Amino acid sequence: MALSKTLANRRRSWLRKMLTVVCSGIIVAFLLGERTRSAPASEYQVKAAFLFNFTKFVEWPPTAFGDSNTPLVIGVLGQDPFGSYLNETVQGESVNSRQLQVERYRSVAEIKRCHVLFISRSESDRLNQIVATLKYRGILTVTDADAVDTGVIIRFVNEGGRIRFRIDSSAAKAAKLSISSKLLRLG
Amino acid sequence: MTDGSSIRRKLMSIILVTSTAVLLLTCASFFAYEFFTFRTTTATNLSTMGAVLASNATGSLIFNIPEDATEILSALQAEPHIRAASLYDANGALFATYPKDSPADRFPSAPEIDGYHFRDGYLISFQPVVQGGKRLGTLYLKSDMDGIYARFRLYAAIAAAVILATSLLAYGLSRRLQWQISLPILALTQTAKAVADRGDYSVRAQRIGTGEFETLTDAFNHMLERIHEGDTALRDSEERFRSAMSYSAIGMALITPEGSLLDVNQALCDMIGYTRDEILSTRFESLVHSDDVAANVNEFQRLLNEQTNVYRVEQRHLHKSGQVIWVDLSMSIVREQTGKPLYCIAQIQDITNRKRDEELLLNLNSELEERVQERTRKLKEANSELEAFSYSVSHDLRAPLRAIDGFSRILLEENADKLDEDGRRVLDVIRHNTQNMGRLIDDLLAFSRLSRKQMEPCLVNMSELARDVFEQLKPGFIDQKIHFKLSDLPATYGDPALIRQVFVNLISNAAKYSRPKPETVIELESHSKNGDYVYSVRDNGVGFDMAYSKKLFGVFQRLHSLEQFEGTGVGLAIVQRIVHRHGGLVWADARIDEGATFYFSLPKEKKFDGDIATGE
Repeated sequence: MALSKTLANRRRSWLRKMLTVVCSGIIVAFLLGERTRSAPASEYQVKAAFLFNFTKFVEWPPTAFGDSNTPLVIGVLGQDPFGSYLNETVQGESVNSRQLQVERYRSVAEIKRCHVLFISRSESDRLNQIVATLKYRGILTVTDADAVDTGVIIRFVNEGGRIRFRIDSSAAKAAKLSISSKLLRLG
Repeated sequence: MTDGSSIRRKLMSIILVTSTAVLLLTCASFFAYEFFTFRTTTATNLSTMGAVLASNATGSLIFNIPEDATEILSALQAEPHIRAASLYDANGALFATYPKDSPADRFPSAPEIDGYHFRDGYLISFQPVVQGGKRLGTLYLKSDMDGIYARFRLYAAIAAAVILATSLLAYGLSRRLQWQISLPILALTQTAKAVADRGDYSVRAQRIGTGEFETLTDAFNHMLERIHEGDTALRDSEERFRSAMSYSAIGMALITPEGSLLDVNQALCDMIGYTRDEILSTRFESLVHSDDVAANVNEFQRLLNEQTNVYRVEQRHLHKSGQVIWVDLSMSIVREQTGKPLYCIAQIQDITNRKRDEELLLNLNSELEERVQERTRKLKEANSELEAFSYSVSHDLRAPLRAIDGFSRILLEENADKLDEDGRRVLDVIRHNTQNMGRLIDDLLAFSRLSRKQMEPCLVNMSELARDVFEQLKPGFIDQKIHFKLSDLPATYGDPALIRQVFVNLISNAAKYSRPKPETVIELESHSKNGDYVYSVRDNGVGFDMAYSKKLFGVFQRLHSLEQFEGTGVGLAIVQRIVHRHGGLVWADARIDEGATFYFSLPKEKKFDGDIATGE
């Protein structure tokens, strides 16, 4: 714990450093002219992998699964930015011997049994409402929309062209999700 | 004690070397154990630490956040022995390093096989980073071994201190304990040294310690005692010999088998007039008179050749002054046990005076002998003259006697009628006396002849001789009834004619002096006494008074009157002379009227000479 605290402290100072680095990086990127944007596809490729990997560090409450054969469902709410990446990523994979299943929802109402829910940027305006609806349903909510303090558990952020994420541990707690410290430290 | 320090040092060093070696070996095994244990422990610790790190770093790898991995690795600052660490992703590319800013070439460019190994004094470990059975990458750790070296330095210091302390303890203990061994040996050594240095065998080793040391000391002391006894005996013997030699009145010399002189005493120096040094510088032969050297050398050679152990010669030496000295030399030899001659001892006595005396005596003797011969010759002349005289006197005396007797008989026979009774009686008396005198003269002649007769001794059968004599005499005593009892008499040496005369005289005496008895008993017996045979002739006659026994054997001595018993008084004198000439004795035993016994002894061996016994 001491290690993680110091790491957290260090991370904040590191964060400030990185912010300046990222800002200057953005300026440099603009100056260089669209060079770094050459791989938009790979961004969602990475995010798809992240979604999948998050499942390894999160424990759902027992009620989240009907029985041991209940698949782990990764859902996408709104406009799907992943294309085929998400399906490709989870293809043939299993977590804790559960099959992985990808579902896509147009609205919150469509969500029945879901464990990881990616909320697309298309839903940015309805974010508070969505979160409020799903808050206690034991769903690990993830978004790459600008959603600071909205109650979404994991937010993707772009730091210096690299994809990072932030975790709202109180939101996770509210959703009765247990997130591994290894993951928490990274977010 | 200085000489004893050797064994003490040796004992001490044995103890110290042994204890130190044991300690060193113990320490070495302990070190080895510690080394391997520590390596294993270090590897285990490293593996545990690596497992924690790897587990923590899974997220970093999964979400590709090297900064976080770097942060995780930087926690290794708490472990100063970790010199380097790095994380590789699943593709083997370097992902994060510790220390953070080290150049990449300080780390392996790619992960190696999982596991740990020691290389160049470092412990190198590669561990997999796994999440959910999926390998995410590899963790590399490099730990120095300063811990073990530091610990070894500590151990070495402790071991050195322990060895030092133990050595001191061992030194102290052995200093005390080794006395049990070294003290008895030192005591023995000191004693042996005292004996060797001073030759003093009266020293005794003190009894220290028990068991073998006691036995050793006792044996040593016993040996010393034996040597001491032997030494004392040798010294005494030497002293006695030296003293005997020095103070001997007899000259003495020690001579080597080669003839050189080893030592001489003062008596010898005085005897031959040389100083001791002068004698010792010469050889023994040169001291001997040149005429006697050959005999001496010959005898000396016989001595060396073991033909004799001692020889004795009388020889001449030359005094320094040139004077000849006669000596009696006795040379004995002393040999080793093997028989090899060691030296000879000469004892030399000056017999010059004796020799001179002997010569004088010899001269005197021969002179004396001459004089004795002269005297004897004269004596013999005188004696034979005397005998011739007495014989002629006796012989010449018989002629007138025969004339007197003859004419008296003629007168008596032819003129008997002219003579009256008284005249005839007177003539009978004249004749009787004349005949008596004739017998006296006969006996005297016989007696004097006896002295001149040469003895012819041989073994004489005494029984036979006695019986023969009795038979010869018997007719003379026809009117007597005689019982002659003859025992078995042993034969002995003597002149038969003379012994016969003895028996004749004694038996006829016995018969004669027994005549008054109605029956005469004559007994002849014998017995042994002091190497002689004693013969006895006993009668039952008138006997005699022992008070007059000394007169018995004198010439013309008679104990009875002529009227009672006829006789001349010469018979027993003749017996005595004959027995004396045979080396025997005569004596008698008698009581008046109870008979007499005459004894004579003759030696069993022939010890008389055939010569005339003189002086009777």
